[in-house]
Parts: sequence; structure tokens; C-alpha cells
Amino acid sequence: MNSKYIQNTVLLAILSFLLNIAPADAQEKFFRAIGTPHQPEVQVSWNRYYTYEGMVDIMEKIAKAYPELAKMESIGKSYEGRDIYVLTISDFNTGDPSKKPAMYIDGNIHSNEIQGTEFSLYTAWYLTEMFDELDFIKELLEDKTFYINPSINPDARNDYMNQPNTPHSPRSGMIVLDNDGDGKAGEDGFDDINEDNHITMMIRKSPTGRYIKDPLDDRKLIRVAAEEKGEYEMLGYEGIDTDGDGEVNEDGIGYYDPNRDWGWKWQPDYIQRGAYKYPFSLPENRAVMEFVMKHPNIAGAQSYHNYGGMILRGPGAEEDAETYNSEDVAIYDEIAKKGEEMIPGYRYLVVYKDLYSVFGGELDWFYGGRGVYTYSNELMVSYLYFHENKGRGNQDEELKVDRYLTFGDAFVDWDEYDHPQYGKIEIGGFKKNFGRAHPGFLLEQDAHRNMAFSIYHAYHTPKLSISDVKEENLGGGLKQVTATIYNERLMPTHSSQDLKYKIERPDYISISVAKVLAGMVVNDEDFNKVEEQEVNPETIKVKNIPGMETVKVRWIISGGRNYSIKVDSAKGGIAEWES
Amino acid sequence: MNLKLPCLLLLSIFLSFSSYAQQDYPTNRQVEQRLKQMANSANAKLISLTKTEGGQDIWALQLGKGDMENKPAIAITGGVEGFHLLSVELALQISEKILQEHSEILDQTTFYVFPNMSPDAYAQYFSDMRYERRGNSAKIDQDRDGEVSEDPYEDLNNDGWISKLRVESPMGDYVPHQSDSRVLVKADEKAKRNEKRYMLYSEGLDNDKDEKFNEDPEEGIAFNKSLTYKFPYFEAYASDFPVSQPESRALLDYLFEHWNIFAFVTFGPANNLSAPLKFNKPEAEKRVVTSMLEKDVKLNEMISEMYNETIPYEAYKQDNQGTDGDFFQWAYFHFGRLSFSTPGWWVPDMKEEKTENGSQTDSVSNGDIKPTAETNFLAWAEKEGVDNVFLPWTEVEHPDFPNQKVEVGGIKPFAMTNLPYQMTDSIASSHTDFIIKLAEIQPKLELHNLRTEKLGGRLTRVTVDLFNNSPLPTHSELGGKSRWLQKLQIRLSKDKKDILAGNTIKLVDKLEAYEKKTLSWIVKGSGTANIRIGAPHTGFVESNVKL
Repeated sequence: MNSKYIQNTVLLAILSFLLNIAPADAQEKFFRAIGTPHQPEVQVSWNRYYTYEGMVDIMEKIAKAYPELAKMESIGKSYEGRDIYVLTISDFNTGDPSKKPAMYIDGNIHSNEIQGTEFSLYTAWYLTEMFDELDFIKELLEDKTFYINPSINPDARNDYMNQPNTPHSPRSGMIVLDNDGDGKAGEDGFDDINEDNHITMMIRKSPTGRYIKDPLDDRKLIRVAAEEKGEYEMLGYEGIDTDGDGEVNEDGIGYYDPNRDWGWKWQPDYIQRGAYKYPFSLPENRAVMEFVMKHPNIAGAQSYHNYGGMILRGPGAEEDAETYNSEDVAIYDEIAKKGEEMIPGYRYLVVYKDLYSVFGGELDWFYGGRGVYTYSNELMVSYLYFHENKGRGNQDEELKVDRYLTFGDAFVDWDEYDHPQYGKIEIGGFKKNFGRAHPGFLLEQDAHRNMAFSIYHAYHTPKLSISDVKEENLGGGLKQVTATIYNERLMPTHSSQDLKYKIERPDYISISVAKVLAGMVVNDEDFNKVEEQEVNPETIKVKNIPGMETVKVRWIISGGRNYSIKVDSAKGGIAEWES
Repeated sequence: MNLKLPCLLLLSIFLSFSSYAQQDYPTNRQVEQRLKQMANSANAKLISLTKTEGGQDIWALQLGKGDMENKPAIAITGGVEGFHLLSVELALQISEKILQEHSEILDQTTFYVFPNMSPDAYAQYFSDMRYERRGNSAKIDQDRDGEVSEDPYEDLNNDGWISKLRVESPMGDYVPHQSDSRVLVKADEKAKRNEKRYMLYSEGLDNDKDEKFNEDPEEGIAFNKSLTYKFPYFEAYASDFPVSQPESRALLDYLFEHWNIFAFVTFGPANNLSAPLKFNKPEAEKRVVTSMLEKDVKLNEMISEMYNETIPYEAYKQDNQGTDGDFFQWAYFHFGRLSFSTPGWWVPDMKEEKTENGSQTDSVSNGDIKPTAETNFLAWAEKEGVDNVFLPWTEVEHPDFPNQKVEVGGIKPFAMTNLPYQMTDSIASSHTDFIIKLAEIQPKLELHNLRTEKLGGRLTRVTVDLFNNSPLPTHSELGGKSRWLQKLQIRLSKDKKDILAGNTIKLVDKLEAYEKKTLSWIVKGSGTANIRIGAPHTGFVESNVKL
């Protein structure tokens, strides 16, 4: 993308914003496309990426444009002191957002996995812009809260964008550790020899080299047959031996993995490469943890990574396989299989079985540590290029993309440079923002589809109602009141992991005003199988309200013609009934 | 034991640090005073790592000389359990003795002393409701029922102690011990049903009527149950995730920044000094390692032998070799350092004395009657003349047991794990000796046979033997895998371009006990070069070579 094009886009954006003021004119110029906010209050181009500053700007605009739907707050600071901002999206006029079942979404935990930020922002933007347009979204925000945390690694997001990097770096945050054990931290990172802000590959002509440039496509190096003479040797990513230990690029930013830092079955670095000191020893993750601990209404969660087109659930580690039992897996399956239909090219997978076996991941803490149904989506899949399944990092396909779809924008052509240790070398290869990151023209569609999956996920957090209240006169001024509580969605108020460890408090079902003589849970109404609660019978503690099922409670009361019944569930929200 | 002599001895030592003789374990305030006294020494520095939820400082006392952070160090930790008063005293006295009597060791070894990791819980001993507390002052829902601290202890007989509650009941599980009827033991199947039976609880009320007593008291997280190794998720005193408290985070952050620690000595309930940890091959070979590795077990054996030679009393019922989430196992399994733990003192086995004097309490092991830890303790107390260790059963009214005989009493809290204060000095002395011995065998790098050969054309070959003159390796087997121990760094102070063979820096993973490694370089040019080898936890050795 050249800068002239960017200027034009900005100009167009300003223009269309001005046109908004006069609706009559706008109607002449635009025709509504289904599925997209037609005349959004907040103008955002969804075909480019935003630095931390750009991200904050969009968040501020959304919060300013929709003060009754969106609130922005800092939940803590990153290592370098940037605020980590969360947007709370809900209909603030229909109850306390912290009491509604909530969906938590974050992105960019790995700093080079950038588009989770844009996907998160898109979700916040879409929900606020569509609230007045679609009954479904209106009801959704009446019932639910979305906590949207677009970047939980803002320092290294900016480093990835603003400093020379590969598509894979930094991945960690900006803490610099001693990677080679020589007592010095970060003394030998990448060096951007050709000063293009991308770290690409170094090759050198050599009589013993095993590669030649493909005569049909000189961007590509191909390995020669064993008996043939090659022309080039591969030297790895751009860099020099800065500290004179005979190694190149062996100690740069990090290395640690923010997604090995979470407090469920955490293991140290020698067992789980990338772990830091102890769970939540990274300030960004600590801020998220503290936020989640303060918001027990979070019932579903989504974290965005790249890449490969995956909807992942835990367990992360093989050793943790027994944590996910069949009841919870059934709910995971139900939601994610719908997700596979919504997002073509994405597959529903289990981390330890289908990817790798790792400890200390974010999704494992959300589920194992908090009982929250959580997915990690690996955004971007090569299927989006030509609707073929060529797999991750297929060089031939990527070269074809850059020839026919991006016209050379993705590749740095080989050029000669002098290297202080290697002598004359050539530098070139794919740019850092190709491969893992969507090209601009694929970004909006995939953002929308992934958002749709999260909306489906959020929709199926519990929704409680008091569906029936039956009164029976027992004589002598006594009445028996039986209330039926219905959970209209797939998720229970307590996942089975939650029940196993009593992570969240029980649901409280209380009756007010009347004098309560006895209270009980009715396990089988037909045969009067009940479980009495002797202490505080006016507030019955129920362990769980399963998805698509009912729970019945009963009180024996005296006097009191008027009374109200209230369900108060941390993850299921509030439901009330009045006589 | 004659109490007078140690008392006097104690007094004389204390006079140098403190203006009065201590009669009982020190309060947090007195701990602070003693630490500040020590910090007046040129070889000591005191810092507060953080404050706990209860407003108490977490102290770190650094003992050392010169370039402290590049000398091998031993970390000494007390108060990993708040009820273990002795452990705090040991950490203090050992520090005092190192400064007073062994300051020469500071030429080669640095000590980081964390005298009390549980000051909130420790303070309970000095309150008007004394009980053996583990948790800090964080507000925690221990039984995870949605209500915080809804079932605390109550001092029903207003004696200042939280002891036991026994309720006479034919349905009870407990019967009086046959040799000492004050002590209750769990009835076995053979016990006659017509015996007087009791239900046994801790002293208090069942405030929330769940038939559990004091299961959600006003205390928070236990330091020694909340670290990352085998963290007991969601258990009482551990809660939701490991290292959740300011004091544990502050300590770990501090330790992760002090690369020179090669060994930990922890005073706490676990004991791998009287007997070493065992090697379990399958557990050692799993991805998540839960057995000390084979070579490290050998080191543990060697250090245990040293401990048993130094400490003049035999192990008895020392079967705690680590509990989930504890500190001493963390230091090995998750921090890669040699890690040793001892309670410092335990009630010795009283069986032997039985035949000698035949007193009443010594009859506990007659016939089938097995002594329990409690009867053994009472026998010891009687023999040593330690009075007031039993709170006699006294009848109280109890709303949860109307019309039943309810009594409060039992062995005084703290007494079984904390011997009388006046007796602590000899224990501190022997443990100081042990720690000095441990310091004396720390990894020790030496350079031998430094030689140069002229190769002509201004080229010199430099050769030197690097030797670890210690029965300990530079890296434990597990430590060798950890990124939190540095490798041995071999530096030659010459420009890269002037070193024709070798590098300006080369890393070596490890030297075994008494291992030698020959190093050589070919260097161009003249003048001198400096060879510097080591890592913070082994110390550095250097030599200048004339080219």
C-alpha cells in the first residue's frame, strides 16, 4: 500500500463524515449493504492495522459516540507504562453491566499476532453501531455485557510495527532477558542491515551452498539434488554477531511467552519453555487477571491469536486432559461446531491434541482457573487466498499471492549488502506483515465472521427467568410457594469445572417480604423429593442452573400476600418476579 | 536439660544486640529491632521487600562483604509457617552468630536472610486469642461457599488459647489414650463401645451450622501452601492460583534478581536434612518433574550426612518431606537451587527412657498401647521439666451441643513445634555450625597451570586449567536445566579480531565436583589479557596473563 492511497482513504473518510451531517445527500451517495453499519458514527477503515495509539483513538471515539453503550477504562499498565484499556459494551439503561452475563474478548497477547486487536475493535464498533438498527443486537446488549480488551501486549505491538522485526518477533513483551545465560540481557538481537524495517533473510554465494535461485522465479530458493552443485547458502535472519560469541541473533527481546504465564497448572521454564517467574508475573497478564477476578459475571471468553484458521479449546497440556469433562466438552463442541460453519477455513481443534502440549496458557486459566468457557482463535488461514488448503507457510502459494493478488507488496527483492562478519551477502524475503497477518482486503470479512462466532458464544451464556410460580394453601395461614427458574441458553451458571472446585459462589434464589418457615430445593416435583436448607431458608443456595433446564425451589411461608422472588447468579445475571 | 546454662549464654549473646533478656519468642516489633541492631554492622544491610496485607514488613537481611552479589550465597528463610515461632528465632540467631562469631565466612559467602515470611500469622501468638495460624491477613473464603470468614474460632473458656473441644457422645470417634487419659486418640475398631467416647473439634462455634467447626476463620493465604510447585488449587489457605500474595511475590521477585544463590536452608515443617529425599525414576523422567533428580539426591545425601554429624539429636517422626505448594520444594523444583529444610527441633523419641526410670508417662509403649505424638510430647515435657503445656479440660456451655458435656482443653497450641524459648540457643548454635559447613563446601572455581606458548609471528597460545575445588558441582542436575542459573562464563579481555582460536566469551554448562577443564586460546599481539571465569552463584575467578 503506498502513502498516496492512504491519503486518499483518509480524505474519503473525512468526506463521508462531513456528508453524514446532511442525511439527504448521504442517501444519494450510498446504498446500504446488508450486515454492515451503514452510516456509522465512528468512521474506521477495516482494511489496515492500527498501532497502540491508533487503537486507543478508535476506542475513545466509540466511547464518546455511545456513552450509554460503551465505557472505556484502564485496567492496568504494561511493562513500559502504557495503559491497557478495556471497553465495556452493554446497554447501560437496562441494569448494571457487572451483573449481566458477560463475554470477555482480548487480542494480541503475542505481539506479532496483531489482528486480534482489529477484530476486537471491530466487535466493539459493530455492536455499538448496530444497537439501534437490529433487534437482535439490542436484546443482546440488554441481556449481556462485552468486555473488549483489544491489545494485552501494547508495548511489543508497537515494537513489532515500528521496529525491524520478522513475522514472528517479538511475540513476547518488551522485558529483555538473558537468553543465552551469559549474564547479559538482550545483547545480540536482530540488525536491520538493509534498513527497511523488516527483518528478512540473509543468503550468500558459496561454492558449497546447497541452494540455487529458481530459474523460473528468482524470489525463490530451491535446494539442489545431492549430486548437484548449488550456488547459495542460507545464513538466517538479518543480524550480526554483536557480542563476539560466535552466534548471531541469539539474545534479543524477551524471550518469554506471555501465553505461558497463566495460573492454571503453571510450570516453570525448564518444563514449559517461555514461562516467566510465576503465574501473572507479567504486568499485562496481571492486569487481565485482576480484571477477571473482579468480574465474576464473565461466563464466556475469547482470545485472538494468529495463525492457521483454528478455533481452539483446551486442555493446553496432555497432563491436564482430565480437567475437561464430557459435560463441558459437549457445550464447547456445540458452540465451536457452529463456529466452523460461520468461519470458512477454520477448524475446531483441541490444543494439546492438535497443536502442541503446553502449560500456562490463557485459555486454560480462564477455563481451569475460573470455569469460563473459552476459545482461542488462530486468525488468518491460507484458505482465504484461493479457497484451497495449502497449509501454513506454503511458500509457493505465498509467492503466487504476491504475484497475482498483492502485486509485489509482500516481498523484499534480493539485494546485495556488506556484512561485517559474512562479507558480501544478499538480503530479501517476505515482509513481517505477510503470512501471519491478513492482507488488508481479507481483514474485514474475517473480522466480521469471527465476531459473529463470539456473538453466538455470548448469546449462549446463561439467561435466567422465573418461568413459573405456584402457590398452594396449606391451611393455618401457611402457603407453599414453588418457583421454577429456567435457563434459556446452552451454558449452565456453573461449568462442571466450576462446580468441581466451587470456583464461583452458588446461585441465590430468595423470597422477600414473607415470613419463611422452611425452604428447600425441589429435585423431583412429582414425587416430592426435596432437599431442605435449614440455615437462611429465605435465600436458597443452588449449586447450578444447567443450560436449557429448570431448577425448582420451594418455600413454606406464613402471611404476606405480596412477595417478590429474585434470582441472583454471578454468571447468570439477575431475574426477578413479583406477585 | 539444665535450663540455667543456655539461659545465661543466651543472655550474654543478647546483651550485645538487645538491652534486655528475652523471655519468650520475639514479637514482630522485637524482630524488627533485632534486625535493625544487626543492620548497624558494616557487613549487614536490611531492606523491607514489601508490606503484607496486615501491614507487616517482609524483611530481607543481607550479610556479606564487598562484591556481595557475585559471591555464592545461601538463602536462609524462617517463618514459612506462621505458627513456627522457632524458625524465626533460628533465622535471627543464626544471622547474629554469623555476624558475631563467623564474620570471616563473609569473605567468600553471602547470606540472604528472610527471617519471617508469615508475620501476619506469626502475630497471632502474641494476641489475646492464640492459635496455630498459617494464613496472612487477606480476606479469603477458605471453604468457597460464597461467604468470607463466616465460621471463625471462638475462645469459649476465655483463657486466651484456641485449643480443642471435646463432646461426650456415644457416637464419638475418640477415646482417651490408655496411658495418658488427657490425650484423645481415634478409636480403632477393636475399641470397646462401652468406653467413654468423644467427638473432637477445634475450639469454637459452628457459626454457619454446616457441622464443620472453624472451617472459614479470619485468616488468608498460607505462604507455605501457595507457591507454584504442586500448588493445591482451590484448597483452603492456598486459594485460586499460586503466588497470589504481596509477600510471596516480593520474595520471589527478589530471589529472581539475585543470581548468586546456590543453596537454600529453610526452617519449616519439612525435613530433607535428617534424611534425604528419595529418587523416584519414573517421577524424575516425566515432563513435569516430581522427584529430585538422581545426582541431586546424592548431593542431598551428602548434605544430610553433614547435618546429622552436626546436629546432636536423632530424628523422630520426621516424615514430612514436603507438602504441596511449599517453599523448600519450590526452591529446588522451580528455582533449580539446592534446597534444604528442617524444623530445627522436634520432640525426641521418649521410648528409650521408659526402661530407665519407669515414670507414669513413659508407660505409653507398654504392650499394645502405642505412643502418639502427643503422649510422646507430654512425656518429654515432664522429663525436661517443661510446665504448663497442657490446658486441662474444662467444662463449658455450648449452644451447638445443648444438654451435652462439652469441655475445652488439650495440649497448648505451639508447644509441640516450638520448644521453650530459653532452650533455643543450643539449637541455633548447632544450626549455625551446619550452615557454616555448607558455606565452606560451596562451589569453588580455581585456575591452575596458567601457561603461555609463543607460536611466533606475535601469536601466543594461552592455556589454563579450570578446577572446581568443591564436593558440590557448579550446577545441580536440575539447576543445569534452569534459565535462572547462569552458565559459567569464560571471558578473555581481547578484541574478537585478535583471538584466532576461541571467543571473547564462551559458555560452559557445568563443572562437576572436583572436575577440571582445560581451556586454551590463540591470541595475536602483545600486552596482557585478563581471564575471568564464573557465574554469580559460583563466584568469579580471574587471572592476568602476559602475552
